[in-house]
Amino acid sequence: MARRRFASALTFAMALLAGTAAAQAQDVVKIGVITDRVGSGKFYAEPVTRGIELGAKMINEKGGVLGKKIQLIIEDDQNKPDVSAAKARKLVDDGVVVIMSNTGSPATQQAQTVSLETKTPHLTPANSADTLTTQLDNPWFFQTGPLASIQLATLMTYTKARGFKKVAIVRDNSALSQSFAESFRKGLDGVGIETALEEVIPQGATSAVANLQKVRAAKVDAILQAGILGPEMLQFFRAYQQLGMKEPILGSYNLSIPAYLTMAKDLMEGVVFVDAYDETKPEAKAFRDIYVKDYKEEPSSLPAYGWDGIHLVAQAIEKAGSLDKEKVRTAIAATTGFSGAIGAKGSSWGFRNGSRSGFDPQGAVVRIIKNNQHGPVVHSGQK
Amino acid sequence: MRALLWLASIIAASALAFALGGYATDVYRKMLVWIALALSYNFLFGVAGQIAFSQFAFAGVGAYGVVILSYKLGLPFGVALVGAIALCALLAFIVAVPSTRLEGFYLALATLAFAQLFLVVVNEGGELTGGTGGIAGYKLPEVFGIALRGPWYTVVLVLLVALTLHLLLRLERSSFGRACRAIKANPAVAAAMGIDVRRTKVITFTLTSTLAGLAGAAYAYVDNVINPPVFGLDNIFMLLFMIIVGGMGRPAGAIVGAVLLYLAPFVLEPIVGHAYLVLFGVLVVLAILFQPQGLIGLVDRLRPERRA
Amino acid sequence: MDDFLELTVSAMASGCIYGLMALAYLIVLRPTSIINFAIGEWAATGAFVGVGMLSTLAWPHFEGPYILAVVAVVVVLGLLGWVVERLTVRPLLRRGAAVTSPILALLGVLVIFRESLTLIYGADPLPSPPPFGFRRIEIGPFAGASQQFFIIAVTLSLFVAVWLFFERTVWGRAFEAVALNRRAAALMGINLGRVTALAFAAGASVAGLAGLLMSPLTSAHYMMGLPLAIQGFTALVIGGVGRVEGALLGGLILAFVEQLGARYLPIPSGLTLAFPFALLILFLLLRPTGLIAPREAR
Repeated sequence: MARRRFASALTFAMALLAGTAAAQAQDVVKIGVITDRVGSGKFYAEPVTRGIELGAKMINEKGGVLGKKIQLIIEDDQNKPDVSAAKARKLVDDGVVVIMSNTGSPATQQAQTVSLETKTPHLTPANSADTLTTQLDNPWFFQTGPLASIQLATLMTYTKARGFKKVAIVRDNSALSQSFAESFRKGLDGVGIETALEEVIPQGATSAVANLQKVRAAKVDAILQAGILGPEMLQFFRAYQQLGMKEPILGSYNLSIPAYLTMAKDLMEGVVFVDAYDETKPEAKAFRDIYVKDYKEEPSSLPAYGWDGIHLVAQAIEKAGSLDKEKVRTAIAATTGFSGAIGAKGSSWGFRNGSRSGFDPQGAVVRIIKNNQHGPVVHSGQK
Repeated sequence: MRALLWLASIIAASALAFALGGYATDVYRKMLVWIALALSYNFLFGVAGQIAFSQFAFAGVGAYGVVILSYKLGLPFGVALVGAIALCALLAFIVAVPSTRLEGFYLALATLAFAQLFLVVVNEGGELTGGTGGIAGYKLPEVFGIALRGPWYTVVLVLLVALTLHLLLRLERSSFGRACRAIKANPAVAAAMGIDVRRTKVITFTLTSTLAGLAGAAYAYVDNVINPPVFGLDNIFMLLFMIIVGGMGRPAGAIVGAVLLYLAPFVLEPIVGHAYLVLFGVLVVLAILFQPQGLIGLVDRLRPERRA
Repeated sequence: MDDFLELTVSAMASGCIYGLMALAYLIVLRPTSIINFAIGEWAATGAFVGVGMLSTLAWPHFEGPYILAVVAVVVVLGLLGWVVERLTVRPLLRRGAAVTSPILALLGVLVIFRESLTLIYGADPLPSPPPFGFRRIEIGPFAGASQQFFIIAVTLSLFVAVWLFFERTVWGRAFEAVALNRRAAALMGINLGRVTALAFAAGASVAGLAGLLMSPLTSAHYMMGLPLAIQGFTALVIGGVGRVEGALLGGLILAFVEQLGARYLPIPSGLTLAFPFALLILFLLLRPTGLIAPREAR
């Protein structure tokens, strides 16, 4: 009774879903995109997806890839890791050649199990967690986002003249933030700077005064901001201002997300942060012009990651000369010298020495927030 | 006859595993895990009347337990599995003994606090638990020389559901099940009838939580990745909604609720996007107001025979 | 020492917010025995209504004076609370359903509200303008942000007002009577339906105010509801479900333990997250009636 009812209901439901295994259409190139439209990752995933959409549109206008148009299949994983894996499988069943993951690093990581199992090329244009290419030995997965370790190293090169000896790390309790903090710590250890303490502002906190008082008491030379969550970041800046603190704040590339400027208006003056976008770079200018024409507003750095990502994928498919996944993978892995909108002047993407992380170590830049705007680049690379 | 029915259903559900493509298999497997969790939760909540928010935390104990013991600490798989289940039972017992003194929603909140504590421990567990990023890269080791992969692992999950269902059905029809129902209806009267209320409650909580742990351990090998978000708060609300909409107190209700609410988002999301959650909330309110027996109660109304 | 005094202000402000949430629970709980877990989302709604009234970001209409936002929050939330009571709670109570039914129904309401907020306002956090800016104020040895002092002032006034309501007015006494013995109160002519409706409306308004007060510090975002609901309930359990003063006391204790612990305990910061939950469990197990015992029947 119960079981039979269950089995038949199940078969019916499955019949609805089983029909999703579409044969690869011959006149389009299907590229899968995993984004977050409503969840906690929306404010960094959606801009990147926009960049991909714009890039795909431009490529199609110029004739597409291998004479075929790019068709983007976009799935929403709500920044939930297990949903991300499920959506990745759906994309594979839909016949995509490449999967692009734009949501949080943990979600991308779980989706990796799918790209590994189904042997599908998988690219994350913007994720920065160092462990994505190391935790799982997945030759199908590539990462072009600026690694947290590179971000830290670039920051440290910029501040070398200031001779920081002791710093504090402040983060929230989200997965990405914890991963950043870990990378920061490793990097700091590497250059002999002491991490005096690591403070956590948990989601739902109503005040960061206690955390920052502790930081102040530790008498550090600088504070490294590894936070991601908006409201908690806001409290950090509020408490910092309220306590009248003066320690320099060094932020990760998350501070390049424009939403923070609105939310923490007037609170982030003089904050130093890492970015991978130099507006004066020719490719960046070209990207910006196209973006403004299409969307009627200034881009932040985020869409540029997506823009570069889709172009890299398209270029690889062209080079591979076919839609065979293994050939595309090889072509991606052989990419070097790709100069895109992202990256400091003179830097380029490339997967060197068999590494699947392609961000140029010299490609990060340092900017300062002035007048509630992302200021111009003050330093490039790690020299 | 009954045994034949069971066998036929299990074979049918397993055969389905071999017919599905990659994405559908993923959906099917995760749905089976949810069904297993809904069944045990339904017994705790629907039959025994204990509102608890810790079901996913115990699933997490099972999942993290088996993975840490076998992958991180290198113990043989059998030992790891037994160890994880035992840990689950122990923790459930420790939580149950003081909490079952609490009534109604206070129990719910104590278990909620436990669930949040579990998350903090896992998130801050550093190398051992993988922190917020979780653990990845492990594989289900060979059991007696057989590597259970692909559709065969789905069969394992089918068997998990069958086992859970069978156990809970037996329990429900036994004097223990009657005792649980009596306690739910009126604890004072139940005690007067000679039922050891505390003991029954503790056993129920421990048993259902351990079953949750088993489901969690099975889940760990679906994606071969475990991380904290899956065992968080949003999912326990979803589980509760499944039971309410499907039909509290009846295993069939739990199954119907789980299948429906698990599959519905896949169908609804392309149409209404995230708003399907509003629909679920509305369904829950409607169910409580107008159809407390849930969907299964509706079906019963349409089929006046049966159901002793 | 300066640190401690400044932390005190911060803890008091947070404690006031928790206390308001606990009060919102209490106002509904006492006459109906219903734990309304949806008040977290009502607080979030209050925050968003405030943003809508005060800033051009949510609605490009106007930037109004602060008192307008307060009135809007009280009215809108009161209405929403009343509607929810009528639609989901009253039918159940009338039917004589066990108290778990409305509690579960309210969980459904919780989800409805949270998703609706996302659909209406989007998923990004919105900044909420504070009435007195964000200056650092020093009152005697104490120092803190102007908003924190504002929260403390408003909360204390509100608690005094509510206390007076329950102690001195006829309506307040009616509440107490219903809380002590529903049937007897009905027999004495007290309109149970009206008391329940008023309880829900008032509870919603208080929660909305809490959200409005807190949002300048943390922004208005759709995920703020659940933590507030949990914090509020913890405060309620600590302080005692019987008395209005208990709600505030519980909130203050929770906040002080949280923040003093974060500041002075030599344990890794990540683990301090466990405190509120450990505290909740402790009180639930050892002293479920909370610190202030409920009033005995006379």
